[in-house]
Amino acid sequence: MDPSERIAWLALAAVHGVGPATFGRLVAAFGGARSVLHAASDGRLGRAAIKVETGRRLPTEVVDRILVAAAAPDAATATLERFGLWTLTPLDPAYPSRFGVLEAAPPVLYGWGDPAALEDHYAVGVVGTRRPTPAGRALAARVARHVAGRGAVVISGLAIGIDGAAHAATVEAEGRTVAVIGAGHDHPGPRAHRALLRRILARGGAVVSELAPHAPASRGTFPRRNRLLSALADAVVVVEAPSRSGAINTGHHALEQGRALFVAPGRPGDPATAGCLRLLRETPARPFVGLAELDEDLAALGIGPVRAGDRPVAAPDPLVDLGAAERSVAVAIARAPSGLERLVAATGLPPGVVGGAVTLLQLRGLARIVDGAVLPAGPLLERG
Amino acid sequence: MLATLVTAVVSGLHGALVRVEVDVSPGLPVCHIVGLPDAALSEARERVRAAIRNAGFAYPASRITVNLAPADRRKHGAAYDLAIGVGILVASEQIRAGGGAWALLGELSLDGTLQAVPGVLPMVATLARAGQRRVGVPAANLEEARLVEGVEAVGLDGLDDAARLVAGPRGRRAMSAARRPVIGVSGLPAAGIAAPTGAAPEGRVALVSGLEPVDLREVRGQPFARWALEVALAGGHNLLMVGPPGAGKTLLARAIPGLLPPLDEDEALEVAVIASVAGLLGDGRRPGRRRPFRAPHHTASYAALVGGGPRLLPGEVTLAHRGTLFLDELAEFDRGVLDALRQPLEEGSVVISRAAGQVRYPARLQLVAAMNPCRCGYWGDPQRACCCAPGDPERYVRRVSGPLLDRLDLRVELGRVPPRELLGGPEPEASAVVAARIALARERARARNGGRLNADLSGAAALAAAESEPRARTRLAELAEAGALSARNVHRLLRVARTVADLAGAPHVDEAAILAAAGLRDPAGDRLGAADAA
Repeated sequence: MDPSERIAWLALAAVHGVGPATFGRLVAAFGGARSVLHAASDGRLGRAAIKVETGRRLPTEVVDRILVAAAAPDAATATLERFGLWTLTPLDPAYPSRFGVLEAAPPVLYGWGDPAALEDHYAVGVVGTRRPTPAGRALAARVARHVAGRGAVVISGLAIGIDGAAHAATVEAEGRTVAVIGAGHDHPGPRAHRALLRRILARGGAVVSELAPHAPASRGTFPRRNRLLSALADAVVVVEAPSRSGAINTGHHALEQGRALFVAPGRPGDPATAGCLRLLRETPARPFVGLAELDEDLAALGIGPVRAGDRPVAAPDPLVDLGAAERSVAVAIARAPSGLERLVAATGLPPGVVGGAVTLLQLRGLARIVDGAVLPAGPLLERG
Repeated sequence: MLATLVTAVVSGLHGALVRVEVDVSPGLPVCHIVGLPDAALSEARERVRAAIRNAGFAYPASRITVNLAPADRRKHGAAYDLAIGVGILVASEQIRAGGGAWALLGELSLDGTLQAVPGVLPMVATLARAGQRRVGVPAANLEEARLVEGVEAVGLDGLDDAARLVAGPRGRRAMSAARRPVIGVSGLPAAGIAAPTGAAPEGRVALVSGLEPVDLREVRGQPFARWALEVALAGGHNLLMVGPPGAGKTLLARAIPGLLPPLDEDEALEVAVIASVAGLLGDGRRPGRRRPFRAPHHTASYAALVGGGPRLLPGEVTLAHRGTLFLDELAEFDRGVLDALRQPLEEGSVVISRAAGQVRYPARLQLVAAMNPCRCGYWGDPQRACCCAPGDPERYVRRVSGPLLDRLDLRVELGRVPPRELLGGPEPEASAVVAARIALARERARARNGGRLNADLSGAAALAAAESEPRARTRLAELAEAGALSARNVHRLLRVARTVADLAGAPHVDEAAILAAAGLRDPAGDRLGAADAA
């Protein structure tokens, strides 16, 4: 691409108020980003505004901002360098081919990490609520670890809750994972996930956004982000979602984009999974009933590297060198993640022994404690 | 004529001897009190005058000068009233001092009866050290005064009792003529000198009212938190309980008084002195052997918690000395107030400096705190949704500063008890059973540590505890490497592990004790401990 056109392209895309649709119309009307900026400079943009298609005028403050961008088109590029971001535009060959299904594909995708992670041949989205139950958190980790172990890139949104569990389990399994964030890279997800973000990048993953670095998160940014998340995946698994959840929205996007959608069913009447049940009832989503069944379904759809029935060599039993107490605690948390109190009741062991066993499992990377619940981690996720 | 009597003042936890000199001489009827009294003390003039008249004596229509010596010590409070009143009676020759040298303490009411005063115990102790052998105190303060050895203490109900005491059997002169019975509120004649009573009720001096003790048998479920509490009490470790409303945090805390062994003699005296100064003994209660348990409300001010005010009174941290300070709803306390806890937790004492002076109070307390996981209380609850805004739970926990959290050696998360367990389930252990284990573990620790609890062990001594167990040391190194422990926390972990071993009767800190202790440290996971656990 002509370098000056690319600079103009980045400058125009970074203007607050110019979304993918407006961007597309402007570029189509003026024949290129550079022409749009020229038009802004000599006043044609303001007068002609754009009556193309919709007949709506561009708000004057947006015109003014384009004018400012036109005066110093290098400013946007400089900002990108400061943040250490790479960019991909539809004019670049490396632009994710999966974005082909999008009606309003992002004019620019900003990212950290390895852009090749976006073009991997096998990608699975794992999404769900920000306030999961311990069981939901464990299931997200289990799914992520499983598909990552079969070579999938795990796509999620870096939010706390299910997203975080999926990302964390993937990096723990030394897999690649892509976080699609709903704000600019100046605000990359919740503060509690800063360390997780670094681990994602260290494991060859990527953190991407369609928003310019300084764009803040707002009411609309997360739902719009969801369409990118589902588009980047070949299949999406909704792990746990109450009736009002972004994950439901992601699920709908996935179906519209022709992605395979799997939804973990919940118990009827349980508000934590009410959204999942509605997706199952109202859409052609497939129920997620188990990891083996997921593999089978994906293989039937031609997704992923594994043919049906083709299992990798079984990993060694992670519990093999544990003592009796640790083993029974491990079995209990693999079956039902719960707080220490429940573990004492479930195993019948003295509290001190349970506490010690959990510590040892944590040291072995087989358990972690989140919000008071002991969750299985690492190889222990492959049991139960 | 001049009369001289002995009384005392209290500052901090220490008393000081004060001489009251009263001169009654011809002149215009006026009363001067000199010798650096504070404003409240000049009100004594009015109280004494009314008390003398209402007790059936005559208030001399002469020039009265009262000197409180030494003059350079600031004096406050109303404990001098009685000495001044009796001094005026002696100086005006209504009674003759013939009953030997009595020191007098007490505040006068207008009707001539005596009110209890704070600080009688340290004041009497000071008088005893100064060689004073006989002390008259308000009857309500008698029990504490009698804790001091080598002093004959007598309880007094009013000015006339005191006059009789000072006059001795032969010294009454004007008394019989002017005497008329004093009628109390109940309509009964005021009693004479209180007979030494043997069985005053043992005061629940330090237990805050409204927080009735609970037996552990009444606490169902929560096996892990119960165990954590046992470890905390056995070793004197500070404990934080996090859990939703109704999980049983407060209930467990209320069981603490019944789980701790009684104070030994020296400790009991320390606690009694504090209770005396705080005015908690003035209702005729005998200071007991029970360990203090203080539970200030979360609206408590800095001065209430740490101590202070114009009189530099002890705060809750001092009232909890040798006992437990229970802070319910920890995150709701004022931040500045909480951070002021760091000094007492670290040094075992607290220094209060004001314009009025500087006092050091002991504050060797065990802190037990409870809080909700978030404002609504249901963060992480498997059944009920938390209704806090995103990010709020994190902010809520951050209200408690890191350094304070760091000093809470044990942290447990309590889940809600399922109804099934509330209604049925195994019968929980009774407090007496747990208390016996705790007492045994404390004895073991004390015998080994030279009288100290494990929480007070030095870092070096804590490290030595795991010396002889190579597997324990390996585990410790693993934990430190996993990033779970800072250098200081290694010591903390070892102290807790030492207690776990003591409870188990193990001579050394073994691998199991190290792991179990680490399991008591973490629970709240990503929000209280490591920043990122996803």
